[in-house]
Amino acid sequence: MKLIFAGIVAGLMATTAAKADEMVFTSWGGTTQEAQTKSWAEPFTAGSGIKVLQDGPTDYGKLKAMVDAKNVTWDVVDVEMDFAIKAAKDGLLEPIDFAVVPKDDLDPRFSNENAVGSFYYSFVLAWNKGAVSGEPASWADMFDTKKFPGKRTFYKWSAPGVIEIALLADGVPADKLYPLDLDRAFKKLDTIKSDIVWWGGGAESQQLIASGEAAFGQLWNGRVFALEKDGADVGVSWNQNLTAADVLVVPKGAKNKDAAMKFLAAATSPTGQAKFAEASGYAPINTKAKAEMPADVVKGLPDAHVDGQINLDLNYWAEHRDEIATRWYAWQAK
Amino acid sequence: MSVEAQQGIATPRIPAGLGGLLPALILIGLFFVVPVLALLLRSVTDPAPGLQNYAALLGDGTYARVFFNTFLVAFVVTIVTVLVAFPVAWMLAIMPPAFASILFGIIILSMWTNLLTRTYAWMVLLQRTGVINRALMGAGIIDQPLPLINNLTGVTIGMVYIMLPFMILPLVGTLRAIDPMTLRAAALCGAGPLAAFRRILLPLSLPGIAAGGLMVFVMSLGYFVTPALLGGTSNMMLAEMIAQMIQSLLNWGLGSAAAFILLVVTMALYALQLRLVGARRRAGGA
Amino acid sequence: MLLDYDRLGWLKAALLAFTALVAAFLLLPVVFIVLLSFGSSRWLAFPPPGWTLKWYQELFADPSWIEAALTSARIATMTAILAVAIGLLASFALVRGQFRGREVLRGLLLTPMVLPVVVFAIAIYAFFLRLGLGGTTVGFVVAHTVLALPFAIIPTATALEGFDKSIEDAAIVCGASPLQAKLRITLPSIRIGIFSAAIFSFLASWDEVVVAIFMASPTLQTLPVKIWGSLRSDLTPVIAAASSLLVALTLALMIVTALLRRKLQT
Repeated sequence: MKLIFAGIVAGLMATTAAKADEMVFTSWGGTTQEAQTKSWAEPFTAGSGIKVLQDGPTDYGKLKAMVDAKNVTWDVVDVEMDFAIKAAKDGLLEPIDFAVVPKDDLDPRFSNENAVGSFYYSFVLAWNKGAVSGEPASWADMFDTKKFPGKRTFYKWSAPGVIEIALLADGVPADKLYPLDLDRAFKKLDTIKSDIVWWGGGAESQQLIASGEAAFGQLWNGRVFALEKDGADVGVSWNQNLTAADVLVVPKGAKNKDAAMKFLAAATSPTGQAKFAEASGYAPINTKAKAEMPADVVKGLPDAHVDGQINLDLNYWAEHRDEIATRWYAWQAK
Repeated sequence: MSVEAQQGIATPRIPAGLGGLLPALILIGLFFVVPVLALLLRSVTDPAPGLQNYAALLGDGTYARVFFNTFLVAFVVTIVTVLVAFPVAWMLAIMPPAFASILFGIIILSMWTNLLTRTYAWMVLLQRTGVINRALMGAGIIDQPLPLINNLTGVTIGMVYIMLPFMILPLVGTLRAIDPMTLRAAALCGAGPLAAFRRILLPLSLPGIAAGGLMVFVMSLGYFVTPALLGGTSNMMLAEMIAQMIQSLLNWGLGSAAAFILLVVTMALYALQLRLVGARRRAGGA
Repeated sequence: MLLDYDRLGWLKAALLAFTALVAAFLLLPVVFIVLLSFGSSRWLAFPPPGWTLKWYQELFADPSWIEAALTSARIATMTAILAVAIGLLASFALVRGQFRGREVLRGLLLTPMVLPVVVFAIAIYAFFLRLGLGGTTVGFVVAHTVLALPFAIIPTATALEGFDKSIEDAAIVCGASPLQAKLRITLPSIRIGIFSAAIFSFLASWDEVVVAIFMASPTLQTLPVKIWGSLRSDLTPVIAAASSLLVALTLALMIVTALLRRKLQT
């Protein structure tokens, strides 16, 4: 009898111990997730012994479904920040355990109670030098079809960026952007609507500019960085660059919460952030990371272009996400 | 009496043939109807009980526009596919087997490449700076690039490309089953090729056209990937819109309502098609 | 006369020319992708500035692509077998059955094709989560079989409708059991229909991306999901290389089958 009891206890301990030894990290796939794996997951596993399984791509519908069904298979998920704010409101996320995740050095723009920054980026104005004569200098130039003819490419989805660009181009000063005047933005966008080609993914934006199919566009700085590294003939203007971020969240009811928090600590550490920034061209959200990065890489970061930099108000977006989206898609469908 | 009955072979006391439907019904009943109904129920319960989601959709110009556009595209794609597929299926049905095998091989090969990759290839081919436009300009046929993408043309080209095999293969089966004697007899009776085509070949191939056409039309209604990549936002289709509602806005009540309306309309069209084609089939005598 | 290949006259030339055009149309993207997979530019530019094998090297260096392809193939094969089997039985019932509500049932069996796939994906995912089937191969195959079933039923039912039952009845009169008659007479006659059903079902699963995203787990990544993830973030010709390999594989398979068939016939 005693033996059987001991056997059962040992078996139970074995299964729970096995569970504690792994967790699931979900991101968007492709080379970004590969860089995250190399910079965060591998050192984390080496240091803690906890295995990190990769899943993806991030899908918000799937996230909500698993939390609703109380059968959560993802432990850490990379999501857009405005989604994270909304998801927290909807009760889909666990609060971050800041006893495990050091908070002090994290850029306050990009973390809150339920999310810590993953990386941040800027939207910049990029153009194909062969397709454009002259140098566009500001977002207003994107709306000037006489001086700069050709197709323009903008981000297709309802997300921070395009609306602000339209307002800035229409003369709205940066500190008066919010609350967003949607009517004014759409009216401005209407003036070039027939010349707009939409990009839905990072690779598409690069493809459009590199091939000259679009003369210029609003791109993520990391993408332009990759284009330049590849030797593509592109020009870039950081004037009025707009920042936004991806964040890491833990879904409510995640099965390996403790491991998840430890992972977050590793991912947001200066070393982890520095490594990822170098590999991806995106910016670290840990203010101490720059010290660990080579000087020439630091030069290419949004941090080096704070003159005229505008932080997109992700909280505003989280509040008004649905109504903006409805109007955005309605306008696109016209 | 059925042949089995005449021979005195005992058959179980289920209404003839219903047994064969059992596995299909169990699969669809348990793993489709039940889960989907549970979700569609949210259209009247999420975020609050009532019909607000439907009111919002039907009163909203955007949804109506997207809905209309979806049916338009599906219709255009189906017609173009039928017109392109018929001659090819005709040839396939009567060609010498060696040629037919090669043609079959080409058709199947074109289906094998992953859908996303094929659609991306079309994107690059159809762009203003893409191969097709450059070839046409180089040959002097046009001097401004044609807008072949981000509009109805691009979506149609892309979708016809994907739908062709779905129309060709059933049609080949039907055409092959037609007895050439019927046409020879018609020729003997003095019917010219046009009359023979109109009054014999076309009507006899209608079941194949209907079957393929149904598949293509219905698939086009629900299609997501190709229209998203090759169409412009002004011809957004329902599947993309519903995906946005469900995965981006996380508004499952609205998304299910939109899907339910689509389902109802399509089923109504299907029932209508049954009346038309079925009646003709019964009159023709199967 | 219209169905006699040799007696078509001028119509033959016209039809053949059109068919050749369509064949070229069907091959155009495939050829394009194969060419791109050897191009040296990272961007899908044509003509490419140079030629290289590095995308293939990258492909082989990353085992996850091959794994994804194998996972897709496994699931698609199981789906095709299941869908064709269930579809065949259902087709017999729908075409020959003498019960009321036949057409209604047929319509019901076609609804998976009509409902926007994302709705089905969420519905079945939530359902499976509660049953504990989320992220399992069984769940995956079941979900895909539901989607593939209409594609299996339509060609077989159409073929069965065009089949003259009297031949089958004659065989029964001559002493064959109903099952034997079906196996040896009916099924071979409708083999194009069954073949189409198998191909469509396989492809319905092979190419499917939305349900696959929901059914995916760290160990169950199918090829379309991997390509989808790649396309969003990095468009490199590695995808073209992966597709070209599959094309080459299919071509090889088709040639082998053709040669085998010729050998068996002589």
